[in-house]
Amino acid sequence: MTGSKVKRITYCDAIREALREEMKRDEAVYLIGEDIGRWGNLFGATKGLLQEFGPERVKDAPISEAAIAGCAVGSAVMGMRPVVEIMYIDFITIAMDQIINHACKYHQLSCGTVNVPVVFRTQGGVGMRNSSQHSQSLENWFVNVPGLIVVMPSTPYDMKGLLKSSIRNNNPVIIIEHKSLYFTKGDVPEDEYVVPIGVADIKREGTDVTIIATSWMVLHALEAAEKLAKEGISCEIVDPRTLWPLDKETLVNSVSKTRHCVVVTEAPAEGGWSSEAATVVTEKCSGDLKKPVKRICGMRTGIPYGKIEKSVVPNDEWIIAGVREVLE
Amino acid sequence: MDRDKLLGLYRQMLVLRHFDEMCLDLKMKDLIMDGFHPYSGEEAVAVGVCTNLRPDDAVISTHRPQGHSIAKGSTPRQIFCEMLGRRGGVSQGIGGPMQWIDTPNNFFCGSIVGSGITIATGIAMAMKREGKGRICVCFFGDGASNTGSFHEGLNLAAIWKLPVIYICENNQYGEAMPVREFVSVYPISKRAASYGLEGVMVDGNDVEEVLAAVEKGVTAARSGDGPVFIEAITYRTRGHYGGDPEYTYRTRDEVEWWRKKCPIARCKARLLEEGVEESVLIALEQEVVRELESDLAWALEQPFPTVEQATDHVMIPLAEGGRLK
Ligand SMILES: Cc1ncc(C[n+]2csc(CCOP(=O)(O)OP(=O)(O)O)c2C)c(N)n1
Repeated sequence: MTGSKVKRITYCDAIREALREEMKRDEAVYLIGEDIGRWGNLFGATKGLLQEFGPERVKDAPISEAAIAGCAVGSAVMGMRPVVEIMYIDFITIAMDQIINHACKYHQLSCGTVNVPVVFRTQGGVGMRNSSQHSQSLENWFVNVPGLIVVMPSTPYDMKGLLKSSIRNNNPVIIIEHKSLYFTKGDVPEDEYVVPIGVADIKREGTDVTIIATSWMVLHALEAAEKLAKEGISCEIVDPRTLWPLDKETLVNSVSKTRHCVVVTEAPAEGGWSSEAATVVTEKCSGDLKKPVKRICGMRTGIPYGKIEKSVVPNDEWIIAGVREVLE
Repeated sequence: MDRDKLLGLYRQMLVLRHFDEMCLDLKMKDLIMDGFHPYSGEEAVAVGVCTNLRPDDAVISTHRPQGHSIAKGSTPRQIFCEMLGRRGGVSQGIGGPMQWIDTPNNFFCGSIVGSGITIATGIAMAMKREGKGRICVCFFGDGASNTGSFHEGLNLAAIWKLPVIYICENNQYGEAMPVREFVSVYPISKRAASYGLEGVMVDGNDVEEVLAAVEKGVTAARSGDGPVFIEAITYRTRGHYGGDPEYTYRTRDEVEWWRKKCPIARCKARLLEEGVEESVLIALEQEVVRELESDLAWALEQPFPTVEQATDHVMIPLAEGGRLK
């Protein structure tokens, strides 16, 4: 961020700024989703955009996830650049067909002549005591779909820069926001910038252990690292930012240096992105690794309602225990 | 109708029929490797609808797309290749008999029942914004009218007054289920009223009737009046897929009854009434068959895609800075 003046904004502000800047930059960009216009999204992420750009560019849609996603795909094929909002990731189940079978297939079926530049914005994770149908971490499903980019930013800086890159990108993208991050703050440059897709970021440098964490888990990893530093344990925190394409190089370089690795994710372990990261590290760093890679994942359960929701997903204590285990 | 125009429609229907029957044969010989869903018996719908369209209008079709695609302008050569999985196909043989995209022809199809109905809304939305009077035609079956996509798609197109023409091809069956047993109201065109649209019903085996109804619909849709819903009553005289156990779910008598209503035979009768010589019609049919045979021979000589080509175009490489490996 050198050279440019910075300002402190929330993750939510970052979304709005990115959308606003891209809508001004390119007439083809439009927003579609439930309650994104008059209401400005549940968290205020699209507040004011309807007033500024009008109802043709900020389309309040009926409660019709399949139609919203299908409409986005059809209009993208025709050269528009929709940014879809699926209110909660849990509701994406109803639009899976349009995303998986259509958005992610048209480029190949058209021999590369048709692009589907759709961004599906949605949010997941715990944090609002929303229970089992409003708090899931479903990113693992999407990592498995060829043709789809999966983005999960953890800071306002990354959010703004990655959302802008996603909108300019010609592939379908799903960008998964986190409800516990919307009101966290961070520095972003006053000047225009983008964050490239497929490039990880080192959120904290360290020498003893690499913690690969994503989204809200990055914050927990940072807290854990702070506590462990007091004991003289130095953690390096790598945030992939894009789950696919995964920046294997940065992961591998870090683990080659620290020779210990912990992977942290809010989603359940089985069949997931965390296994992918752990395997990449194991395959490429086996000579360097002093201990097997440790995974710290969400429990394989429906997220319980209320105060105990956070007890089934990792926190800094879980991460500290994992780090101790690999350093033992 | 003008005699030459009718003759043109007749010729197109013959192309579709013979194309289909040749595909059935290819299926029996295992040269079509996926399920093949015949269109025989429904030709008047594809031809009656697509004759009204401009090349820059879009069509989104189903798992039974060959008739729609050729009527819209894909060449039989390309579609034979797609059926056979050869490089000369519109999707270079990667798509197969149920899903291909013919970009220059603005044609899309897919094998997920009902999905096209939502995608048509987006195509039409972009067309409306563009303001060139283009329209999107969306073909789907009677079975598709029970999917969530149908209801969501129609509602969205209706509230936003989008230039879509919905063509529900009621061919009486969704796989082996008779339509009367799986729709809550009959005819299906009644459902259009739920979305504020007029549901028009036509005899889908009468190419002139289809053409006239669609002509009116096209004018309305192009002028910004919003979506149009047309239900074409027709019948697939072949199985749901080539070689299905069709006489377990319908009787030979029923199929025979519908065969007598063959849209091509009816068109031929009209042409004879108009004074066209039978010998002219026979010569025309022979010419169609000869051309298709040569198209098929060409297609059979095209190469298959290689394994390397199977991963072509999965994604657009990321711009500088993004690493894609
Ligand atoms: C969502 C979905 N469910 C089921 C199927 C399997 N399937 C393929 S064709 C078909 C019947 C469709 O009937 P209809 O919409 O009437 O079209 P028709 O085959 O009669 O032309 C079914 C159930 C599918 N392809 N997609």
